[in-house]
Amino acid sequence: MSDVTYVDPQPTMTFFVRAKFLAFLLLAAAFLAWSANALELSPGELIHSLPVIGRYVARMFPPDWSALHGLWDPTVDTVCIALWGTVIASIIGLPLGLLAAKNINRVSAVRLASLTMLNVLRSISELIWAILFVAAVGLGPFPGALALGVNFGGILGRLYVEAIENIDPKPLEALRATGAGHLQTIMFAVFPQVLPQIVSYNLYWFEVGVRSATVLGMIGAGGIGFELVTTIRLYDFQQTSAILIVILLLVTAIDRLSAVLRRAIVK
Amino acid sequence: MTSLDVTIAQAVEREAAWRHRRIAIRLAIFALCILVLWLAAARIKMSLVNVVLGVPGMADVFVRMFPPDLSYLNRLIAPTIETVQIAVWGTLLAVIASTPLCLLAARNTTPHPVVYSATRILLNLLRSINELIYALLLVSAVGLGPYPGVLAIALHATGMLAKFVAEEIEHVGRGPVEALQAAGAGRMQIILMGILPQVLPAVVGYILYRFDVSIRSATVLGLVGAGGLGFSLITTMKMFKYHETAASILMIILLILVADWISGWLQKKVL
Amino acid sequence: MNMNVAVDRLATETAVSGPNADPIISIVNVSKSYVRGSLVALSDVSFDVGRGEFIVILGPSGAGKSTLLRCINRLAEPTQGKILLNGKEVCDNRRELRLARQQIGMVFQQFNLVSRLSVLTNVLTGRLSYRSTWRSFFYSFTREDRAMALECLEMVALGHKALQRADTLSGGEQQRVAIARALAQRPKVILADEPVASLDPKIARQVLNYLRDVSQRLGISVICNLHQIDFAREYAQRIVGLCQGKKIFDGPPSALDDEVLNKIYGLRLENAGD
Repeated sequence: MSDVTYVDPQPTMTFFVRAKFLAFLLLAAAFLAWSANALELSPGELIHSLPVIGRYVARMFPPDWSALHGLWDPTVDTVCIALWGTVIASIIGLPLGLLAAKNINRVSAVRLASLTMLNVLRSISELIWAILFVAAVGLGPFPGALALGVNFGGILGRLYVEAIENIDPKPLEALRATGAGHLQTIMFAVFPQVLPQIVSYNLYWFEVGVRSATVLGMIGAGGIGFELVTTIRLYDFQQTSAILIVILLLVTAIDRLSAVLRRAIVK
Repeated sequence: MTSLDVTIAQAVEREAAWRHRRIAIRLAIFALCILVLWLAAARIKMSLVNVVLGVPGMADVFVRMFPPDLSYLNRLIAPTIETVQIAVWGTLLAVIASTPLCLLAARNTTPHPVVYSATRILLNLLRSINELIYALLLVSAVGLGPYPGVLAIALHATGMLAKFVAEEIEHVGRGPVEALQAAGAGRMQIILMGILPQVLPAVVGYILYRFDVSIRSATVLGLVGAGGLGFSLITTMKMFKYHETAASILMIILLILVADWISGWLQKKVL
Repeated sequence: MNMNVAVDRLATETAVSGPNADPIISIVNVSKSYVRGSLVALSDVSFDVGRGEFIVILGPSGAGKSTLLRCINRLAEPTQGKILLNGKEVCDNRRELRLARQQIGMVFQQFNLVSRLSVLTNVLTGRLSYRSTWRSFFYSFTREDRAMALECLEMVALGHKALQRADTLSGGEQQRVAIARALAQRPKVILADEPVASLDPKIARQVLNYLRDVSQRLGISVICNLHQIDFAREYAQRIVGLCQGKKIFDGPPSALDDEVLNKIYGLRLENAGD
């Protein structure tokens, strides 16, 4: 049996790392405690409000299905808003995404400008955009679609940039070596690689769009949100739950459809 | 004509036929999509004409908001902090609530198929309803302020997070799990040592993403009185103080940029 | 059978009118360094490549073989020196570069095909430099292009797989498609950067056979990077040895003895048989 001595690897390093980690934890805990206080959030409050909320939920049952009358049109509107919102988002996101991608665009100033544009578009919630568009063009589903398109344009654009930057660079190189031009290279080496990804993102965000579009009606930008808010304002909670169930079914259906289409694309 | 010419001519024909078939199918699908889109556009009264007609309106709004009232930014610091706090606690509560739920909603960790189905339905319910709707309902129930905002975010985020983690758990590699089973580990141990390490990177990434989304949602909760920057936004708009509205929007953009940056930094540190 | 016919036919098409002794490629004092001079990849390399010549560049990894090849079609920029294609310098001007690259086909170690596209479309990308941008925007090629591409595929005996997705083919087959793509350019030179490094020896031989075949019968010069000494001996008409960016050897395979290999690889090659 040989004499084996185990040497502790750099004990001082571990101490500092641990100390930093602990400090971070303490800071986080302090922030959480302070926030909880500011938000009037506490276990007591939670427990106290549970029965209140419970009573509220009870008032929503059984659902009053009469609310379904005249719900077809707003529901279809909601889906149309989401549909066009996603289309507009692609139209905005794709060129900006190409301009912002490191492996496509060598001019860093343009890349930065595109990226900033995309960031601004996605930071402003679609509801705020909707408020702005309603103030500009009036009520109705049209500003809703624009708002969704603009906001999702930023989101999708960012996702496109990631997808484009993550492609296999080797076919790109090969195409450049054959003397193909810039646009040709993009068409033949970039698009075939990112297309499934792009379609997948679009389908996913279409589903998210439907969920978002359900509330746009609250501020007059069309869709089922208006009916929903009306029932709440009139304290017709049983109608509220009926509409919520419709929304649930709608979103679930779109979710399934989206998943099926996404699987078909990846083939 | 050599046999090569014949072969090539045949191949060209065959390829052309194949290609034309593919193009026909794609054109058909494309035409269908265009039809659907056209119908939808007509329905929501969307047209290039309307866009053009709307430009002066948008320009008007823009002009009224520009330049943003930067002195108002001072008054926005408190609502901004509140927005962040709402997002943080909302996400945190969602993580706490999701922990048991995600296990119940995954086929390989659920105790019973009925529990699985019930949990999945519950999560679907939680997911489909927008945070703003929750906020609206909760404000009616417990009153105005940031508290219903936190709950609203938590409820929606729980649905999204638990479903995501459940799917990750279902897709986990069987290898480590089987090894632990063979070693005689108990159920909880298998989950902690076999499943958790595999899903952790993706889950942490998703939690940070969820936090990002929560901040964005939290900025609008004020619209229904649930605290945060949205409240300043809607009040200044209702009072026609558009320069202050612009300042609020600017603050929102800044907040989300910073949140993105922090989220990205955290992701790199943790993963 | 069709393969031979295709190659022969193309050979008559592109027959050079009379012998041409001018080198197709001249590499003149090419150096390349990175990080402001501290990392030297190539150091004053010069040699000529004759028409129809099959040259193998031999050397250990890191010797600069890849860098040299990429400097030829300007996928990499030489820090010093110049490269002449048919007497004209390969330069930065976009249009000129595009025309130069048209004449230079390249085959990569990892095949570099677009996986999701069909084999035929991959070969057709070799024709892109001849076609206008707008036409290619719609993925449209002329009938002649398609016939030409199919012919190139016949040359590597893969015509029957034209419509399959590129990633459904085996490694050796994909590399043959890459060769067909290079041929579709109707190049004067083919650069092959470690074309068989990812293939097993039997398949590697097959691919190198195709490469040598088209080189001989179509009069295309081939500059091939290899690290396998026995392949180099078997296929090269001339070997250029690189070590640490410097040209150490330039001569026929017969002159490649142990002493030279020692210099190139820095090994002591013990005579195993004794």
